[in-house]
Amino acid sequence: MIRRPIEPRRHAKSMLGALALAASLNLAASLAVAQEPATLTVTFQGLKSPTGSVMVSLAGSEESYDGKAPPAGANMVAVSGPTASATFSGLKPGLYAIKAFHDVNGDGKMGANPFGMPTEPYAFSNNAKAAMGPAKWAAASFEVKAGANTQTIDLD
Amino acid sequence: MNRRHLLQGLSGLAAASILTPELAQAAGQLAKGSAAGLDWRIAFADLEADVAPAAMRRVSGRAPTGLAGSLYRNGPGKFHRPGGSVDHWFDGDGLVRAFRISDSGEATLAARFVDTPKRRADTAANAVVTPGFGTTGRPDAQVGGPDDVNAANISVLPVGGELWALWEGGSAIALDPDTLATKGVKTLRPDLAHMPFLAHPRPEPGGDIWNLGLSGAQAIVWRVGRDGALKSADVIALPMASYVHDFTATSRHLVLILQPWVQDKMVMPYSASFSWKPAEGVKVLVLDKADLTRRRVYELPAFFAFHYGAAWEDADGAIRFDVCATPDAGFALGNGANVMKGVWEAEPASILSLITLSPNGSARMEPTGISGEFPRTDGRFAGSPRRFTIHASAARSGPLFNGVATHDWKTGKSDTYDFGPSHLMEEAVFVPRPGGSDELDGWLLAPSVNLLAKATELHCFDARRLSGGPLCTWRSDVVLPVSLHGVFVAA
Repeated sequence: MIRRPIEPRRHAKSMLGALALAASLNLAASLAVAQEPATLTVTFQGLKSPTGSVMVSLAGSEESYDGKAPPAGANMVAVSGPTASATFSGLKPGLYAIKAFHDVNGDGKMGANPFGMPTEPYAFSNNAKAAMGPAKWAAASFEVKAGANTQTIDLD
Repeated sequence: MNRRHLLQGLSGLAAASILTPELAQAAGQLAKGSAAGLDWRIAFADLEADVAPAAMRRVSGRAPTGLAGSLYRNGPGKFHRPGGSVDHWFDGDGLVRAFRISDSGEATLAARFVDTPKRRADTAANAVVTPGFGTTGRPDAQVGGPDDVNAANISVLPVGGELWALWEGGSAIALDPDTLATKGVKTLRPDLAHMPFLAHPRPEPGGDIWNLGLSGAQAIVWRVGRDGALKSADVIALPMASYVHDFTATSRHLVLILQPWVQDKMVMPYSASFSWKPAEGVKVLVLDKADLTRRRVYELPAFFAFHYGAAWEDADGAIRFDVCATPDAGFALGNGANVMKGVWEAEPASILSLITLSPNGSARMEPTGISGEFPRTDGRFAGSPRRFTIHASAARSGPLFNGVATHDWKTGKSDTYDFGPSHLMEEAVFVPRPGGSDELDGWLLAPSVNLLAKATELHCFDARRLSGGPLCTWRSDVVLPVSLHGVFVAA
């Protein structure tokens, strides 16, 4: 009973766009600034299907998280078991948040039913929950400090 | 990811949901303490816990030979929580009941809540936090999809050895028909997860089950086999983004009635997303089951309805079906919420009416003047020419009805039984007599809430002689909140 179709493919395009952008800019490298860089390892657990990949978008600001600025990083991790992990390096210490989905069928898109509802698992950092929309930045953001950082997200 | 789009998607789903049950009707305020101290509020009170199978006491008559099986029913059963309650009857937790009648005429009653994410979330919060049809919910409610707000509280569908609890904004939820235990959300195909599945599917006699799911001016048309397997699912465009609770079908056509309660925004509660636009009138979309691109649209003056009878096509090519119509969506917006506060305000009765769609493209609606709701028919004739409509009848000055009736479209006569103000009648379901084949050769099974005894009762009538009163009445030790829709599964 959504008023109009939700254009699911535009979600997917946005995500793919982020990935493409990250690749073309070699984002990780470009973000490696003079100060001591940080590394973030994100582990996804609870994956139900050992297929496809996890698509990860890392935002370094609320604007970025809300899609109003480019992501700080993006990654695509092949899935072959119940867990998968992605690493972002050369990050500037600060607040970050993650949106991710499991592209179970490997079609490169976030699956949606004909009325636009997601049909593939998605999750946010801090395991923040959707509340009639994506989890808010305030709930999903976490601090990345200089050195090694980890974040574990349930993606089922 | 584009937040705006995801947000829209998710709010849709939250909202998307919504069930809508039913209509009650009556004409006049029930003065407090009037009517011999009868209090209709017990029919809308919370049930706190599941009811284990227990014998019902036969209080009159005797069960007819051949009546054996289970009457499954669904309806909202839990409304209030310490930290906050639903604002609308339609938002109570789905409570599935099984009235089982043995070969020897003994009856038992069991009731079990559907184990939905909504019920879990509201239970954990000790408050109704989940939004719904007429309930705003809390902004921080964890809603990740339509099935997070699925109340599973309108009807039931026996299919593929399971019993599906149906709502209208989300998926069917599968139950074990023996224990009523929840098995889980039904996904008919992975790419169709969380698509809405209305609470009023249209089974072809001995054939497939057709259903719809709505999203604004789009619908999905489901075709499901009796084994529960999906046969087809097609998305179609609608002429108007109407609220749709029910539709009807002939053996060859699907008939979608698009009334002028039109969605023009997405807000919570979901019902506030619709505006009444009578100038738009009603558009009736007729689709060819064999080719959904073949369509025709008929127009009628504005009315509102929750429920329709099974349609048929006459020899002259006209499509006919019945409707219980009100002038507008007043119940959905008014008394449907009022009853949760123990209040009932006078409102126009829904009137049993016949709609005819003529081959020349014209349409007309002919009211009988008879007040009624919950129209049902002999399912063996669904989609084919028929003569009778079963409906709740005899409304008085409070919610719901006090009797049951059949209307004969051939003679224009009604056969009615009125329990009087001490009973709130629930929808009656037709049960064919084994070995019989004539229309209405069988029984009606209908529960009521006996306001004097403060107990749920089950009544069996001869479907062709209602005025003679129940053949048999069983009484439970408990009173359950009134249910909405049911189905009988023969033993």
